[in-house]
Amino acid sequence: MEPVQLLSPDGTLREDERYSPFLEALDDAGLRDLYRHMALERRFDQEATSLQRQGQLALWVPALGQEAAQVGTIAALKPTDRVFPTYREHAMALYRGISAEELMATFRATKHAGWDPHAYNFHGYSIVLAAQTLHAAGWSMAVKQDERLGLRARDKAADEIVLACLGDGASSQGDVHESMVFASSYELPLLYFIQNNHWAISVPTATQSRHPLVHRADGYGFEGVRVDGNDVLASYAVAAEMAVQIRNGSGPKLIESVTYRIGAHTTADDPTKYRSDDEVQAWAAKDPVTRFRSWLESGDRADQAYFTQVQEEAEELATELRRAVLAMESIDIERVFDTVYAEPHRQVEVEKAWLKDYEAGFAEAGGDK
Amino acid sequence: MTQTFNLPDVGEGLTEAEIVSWKVQVGDTVAINDVICEIETAKSLVELPVPFAGEVQELVAAEGDTIEVGQPLIRISAGADPEGASPASSPVDSAPSEAESTSPTPQTQSRDSAGENQALVGSGPKADVAKARPRVRATAPDLIDASEFDDDVPAPQHGFNTGDIADIVAKASPPVRALAKRLGVAVWELVGSGRNGQITRDDVERQARQKKAQRESGKTPAAGAPVPQGRRLPSDVGLLYDGPREDKIQVRGVRKATALNVTASASTVPHVSVFKEVDVTRTMELRQALKNEPSYKGLSVSPMLFAAKAIIWAARKNPQINATWHDTHYTLRNYVNLGIAAATPRGLVVPVIHEAHTYNTQGLAAAITQLTVDAREGKTTPAEMQGGTISITNIGTLGLDSGTPILPPGQASIVALGAVRKKPWVVDGQIVPRDVMVIGGSFDHRLIDGDLAGAFIADVAAVMEQPGLLID
Repeated sequence: MEPVQLLSPDGTLREDERYSPFLEALDDAGLRDLYRHMALERRFDQEATSLQRQGQLALWVPALGQEAAQVGTIAALKPTDRVFPTYREHAMALYRGISAEELMATFRATKHAGWDPHAYNFHGYSIVLAAQTLHAAGWSMAVKQDERLGLRARDKAADEIVLACLGDGASSQGDVHESMVFASSYELPLLYFIQNNHWAISVPTATQSRHPLVHRADGYGFEGVRVDGNDVLASYAVAAEMAVQIRNGSGPKLIESVTYRIGAHTTADDPTKYRSDDEVQAWAAKDPVTRFRSWLESGDRADQAYFTQVQEEAEELATELRRAVLAMESIDIERVFDTVYAEPHRQVEVEKAWLKDYEAGFAEAGGDK
Repeated sequence: MTQTFNLPDVGEGLTEAEIVSWKVQVGDTVAINDVICEIETAKSLVELPVPFAGEVQELVAAEGDTIEVGQPLIRISAGADPEGASPASSPVDSAPSEAESTSPTPQTQSRDSAGENQALVGSGPKADVAKARPRVRATAPDLIDASEFDDDVPAPQHGFNTGDIADIVAKASPPVRALAKRLGVAVWELVGSGRNGQITRDDVERQARQKKAQRESGKTPAAGAPVPQGRRLPSDVGLLYDGPREDKIQVRGVRKATALNVTASASTVPHVSVFKEVDVTRTMELRQALKNEPSYKGLSVSPMLFAAKAIIWAARKNPQINATWHDTHYTLRNYVNLGIAAATPRGLVVPVIHEAHTYNTQGLAAAITQLTVDAREGKTTPAEMQGGTISITNIGTLGLDSGTPILPPGQASIVALGAVRKKPWVVDGQIVPRDVMVIGGSFDHRLIDGDLAGAFIADVAAVMEQPGLLID
């Protein structure tokens, strides 16, 4: 199945009977904003990688190359739609207004999640592969029940849809199967968004699935569409089209967004050891940000001043990111224990006491502590 | 002020890296995030961006050098900061001062008043810390927060104790843990001497030798050694009796046969057990009468004799009790080969009285007597132990009241006889002392449900209560 593509890598926009009409919702300012969000994330990503290399972050999970897939999709949703991300949805998080400081707390290891999920309708990053797909199914069931029982204003409940993000690697997890079975059985207002970035750390997608991942949807009895994830316009249009259907009660749907992870899986691995430089170069030629920028430029939808302004904003964001990371307070280790359960718990107390005793068992080096 | 960039852990848990090439030289001006060098770690080739702006003063390591995480890599002056907006005023990991810049390792993170950050979990400074913080004692193995919890109360509701936790978090590899287990050493007692405090084979063996020496000399550990605190018994408690500490006994003969039989039976046959307490006073009276009868002279007239008769009687009424299960079918036995479990000096044997239903009471008494004598003397032949259809075990002779015996292979029922005791018993609304015993047994549930087992035991009990039922 060929992915839906509206903007080709050479910059030509093609008409599509089903999807092109959804682009009409975007005026020039809206189109430019798609670019802006992609450019901001890219700069943010670079700075975060540098900070990790400088010993300031425990880990970084680059999203380089996946900006269009993420920005196009989130832009097609309403701010009230609930997003259940993996740990790589930085462009989506920034799009929703999550700050650099909030986003980086997890990677600086100062908090489990740095933001209030309810404030942004954006859940904490799920490090446990595919767990978020279950959370998303559960949330969707709650939405549906709220609507049925009249616990929320009917129009509001009926209006909310849920986005479950996952990658090609997580698609092999049993959790995804359970989530999709429930979504199908209960006709949940749930959109599965698989970013197929071709590599589950070092395992290629071809090993995980003999046919395109989009066909998984057939097995559960809902629609799946394959989209060029490096085409921000197609990503937007397909998600927008599906969002309308789901809001109208179609039940779950699935997008397989075909994209490519230009960077490492995380800063802890070396992709040159498992994939060829030729492959990376071939995908770099389909870069989502430059593709969209040249289209904006060629159609006079944005001028040089605009791009300069975005670049400045990106630099400010990078500076703010560095400032925020360096200013973060170390985690209070006792708090980690105190927030496991709502009530006192013997095992946790004992483990806490053990750690305290362990810490006290070090030699008192001069000036330390 | 000089800013020093120490080698960070760019992977997860890396400890060192090789400098592959420098991209800058002394005198160059660098901005934040300029790549200064390429390093090779155990995981990957990585370009390092510098966290400061300024002029390169010193490349601390040469190309080809391998340096440890946390060691200084490059020193940069902060004199002419080309990017005023950069956060160079809060250096990432600055050296304490220029005077100390020759110090080979920044081993104690001396805190800089400029608001230096503490170590991150999983990042570079962590490795510094691990190396720079030697342990002075082991963690208390039996640590309980006494203010919160009563020390005397065990924690069954959570099913763990602090020793378990200390054991889990002890830094020891699986082979070393296995060694410790074999040598009877608790890993949480040890202070690891290996890299990053890892407990090594040497640590375990040393501890084992010390314990052995302590046992042999009868001395307690020397003062200053890490002595576990808390409720543990001292390790030196001597032995229970004269003999080696652990003695390996070869399994053979009756023990081996018993083990094979009960394992086969218990693991293939779903056992069900029922019990009934019964007034056997009349049986005991009859027993006394028979004992005085000349024809019973020299014969064992025990409650078991009457129980054997009762079993045969009850098996006639409940044919399915006396059978063998074969998965696709079962075989009803229209005869009783009665197995009698006997504890002998050689172990448990179950000799069989073949065609037990053909004996009269006196004949059965003679058979039981002979069989018991043969068993005690070890004369029971293998053939005499084959072919049982129902068995009886007289645990009353051990002073026990009841039990759940394992079925002999191929049999569906085994009856257990408890001890006969004088007990208060209600007879006609009056409490009177009576001879009472518990009759129970185990049954093959594939063939015998609780109701049939109950009916059978009730019939046996009825005979024991009223042996007159045996009169045809």
